[in-house]
Amino acid sequence: MENKNNDLIVTHSLVKTYQDNGIPVKAVRGIDLTIQKGEFTAIVGPSGSGKTTFLNIISGLDVPTDGEVWLAGKKISEMSGSELSDFRRDHIGFIFQAYNLIPVLTVEENIEYIMLLQGVDKEERHRRVQKILTEVGLDGYADRLPTKLSGGQQQRVAVARAIVSQPSLILADEPTANLDSQTGVELLDMMRELNKKSGITYVFSTHDRMIMERARRLITLKDGRIDSDETRE
Amino acid sequence: MWLHLKLAIRNIFRNKRRTFIAGSAIGIGLAALIFSDALIIGMGNNMIASATESFMGEGQIHREGFRTSFDVEKTIVNRKQIISKLKEESVVKHFTERVESFAMITSPANLSSVMMVGVSPDTETHLSQIDEAITEGSYFSEGGKRQIIIGSKLAEILEVSLGDRVVLTTAQAHTGDLAQEMFRISGIYHFNIKEMDRGMAFIRLSKAQEMLGIDGNIHEIALRFNNSSIGRNQDHPFWQEYSGDVNDAASWSKLMPELNLMLEVSQFATYILGIILFGVVALGIINTLFMSLHERLFEFGVMRAVGTSAFQMGRLVFFEAGALAFISIIIGCIAGLIVTYIVMQTGIDYTGIEVSGVTFRHLLYPVLKVDQFIIYPSAVLILTLITGLYPSIYAAKMSPAEAMRRSL
Repeated sequence: MENKNNDLIVTHSLVKTYQDNGIPVKAVRGIDLTIQKGEFTAIVGPSGSGKTTFLNIISGLDVPTDGEVWLAGKKISEMSGSELSDFRRDHIGFIFQAYNLIPVLTVEENIEYIMLLQGVDKEERHRRVQKILTEVGLDGYADRLPTKLSGGQQQRVAVARAIVSQPSLILADEPTANLDSQTGVELLDMMRELNKKSGITYVFSTHDRMIMERARRLITLKDGRIDSDETRE
Repeated sequence: MWLHLKLAIRNIFRNKRRTFIAGSAIGIGLAALIFSDALIIGMGNNMIASATESFMGEGQIHREGFRTSFDVEKTIVNRKQIISKLKEESVVKHFTERVESFAMITSPANLSSVMMVGVSPDTETHLSQIDEAITEGSYFSEGGKRQIIIGSKLAEILEVSLGDRVVLTTAQAHTGDLAQEMFRISGIYHFNIKEMDRGMAFIRLSKAQEMLGIDGNIHEIALRFNNSSIGRNQDHPFWQEYSGDVNDAASWSKLMPELNLMLEVSQFATYILGIILFGVVALGIINTLFMSLHERLFEFGVMRAVGTSAFQMGRLVFFEAGALAFISIIIGCIAGLIVTYIVMQTGIDYTGIEVSGVTFRHLLYPVLKVDQFIIYPSAVLILTLITGLYPSIYAAKMSPAEAMRRSL
């Protein structure tokens, strides 16, 4: 099975079973899904529905027990650990609920971390960091340590780090969970704007109503299966 | 690589208190090793000095077999040639000739068996410390052919004091006839060495030769060198040069094998101590690194997620181990230097205590050497890096999803 030109993520019969104290737990039970380039998609569902596990598998952070995952035309479900590592570095940006940043690195160093791994030269790194800091509204914060930033500002830095290396996909796991509603709204609006501007695909795993309201596609998981898949205009 | 080196250095200072405690624990181990080594060297030097400076010298030449039988007929062969040759030796600082024989010393009150030693007073002062150890009377003075110097314990046994008369009786060479001479006590010494204080009596060389009937012959030449290492090394060519079928030239290490063994055992004990301390240090490093690692599981998971490879992750932890080692080495070297330097100024008083047949006569001072600040810190660095491999491999093998899941 191969993906079509506009398909970014394609999963086929995806299964993930964990061993919990020797007892097999089926977290994902055969998901077939296609997410196209430029989508702003939210995966929702109650706790234990398999959202985070599904997100981990489509991002190459975890490997499926069975089934296939294609991302940007590559079959990542059969990649080795080091291939996955390189693939994530070059194709996926991550935003987690909290503690996204390396606390001993400054804002600028955190943002350029992935570019350093990619071997981007210093001048180019600096240029991109300055540009992205303006886009996320953090001009003048380059030399600050994450501990000197508010929760909302830290998440903006995480967004900046995720998009600065120009990935195909941004995966955000409960990005607004630790923010107050106003800050959450501002962050989501900024991400929506960046999605429109750059065309980078965003996939969220969330419980947050604000994200659900802004998502153009809403996939609901229940007991490791897709319960509903709704696209809005 | 520089990115992760910078990260490792910053990470190690994230929890300053823990880093300081862990670094101090490792550093104290290193300081203890430096101090122990300095003390062992100081003890060795002290014991060698106590053993060689009192009387023995750094080496001796005898007739083959004399040291085991003390047969008075076994005098050194080719004495004159050997003496002339020794005078030309650049490595020899001083030497002196001696005659030795078992004898009976008698006073009006008591008697005792002693080792009668005939010495040349002028050269003997360079080899032994009899002159310095005299507590009553004086060293040999001009013209007194019947002067005898005995130890404090022997004087006590014989119930004699300065100026009293004693009689020495010994068997002559070849004939075995008894020779008896009266002496007047001119000096009493106290070495604080049991064997010397109660078992030796010193008379002039010529008188001893006369009593034993050995003409101008001698039993022993005691030596002191310009370089103390010759006395420690029986394989030095000097000893082969003066040994042969008839004579036997022996370094102190051969004359006192128990002292040599004791020094070797002490060095071995330092190695054992080192292994134990390094074992403790290794566990400390593993504990510190794992504590730090488990505190940052989510962060490690994020780093792995955004593209840090397993190798880069392991290398980061490995660099952290190196940074911890570096801090520990600085703490350990400074602490080791300070403690050793303080004890070098004060010394440790073991005087009068006998170990392996040697009685400490001086305060014990540790000896600092540059090697101690190269070998032991290098060992700590290597050990820390080797030990750091375990948490490094653990960090490298950690799956990002698992790391983030476990941290929640």
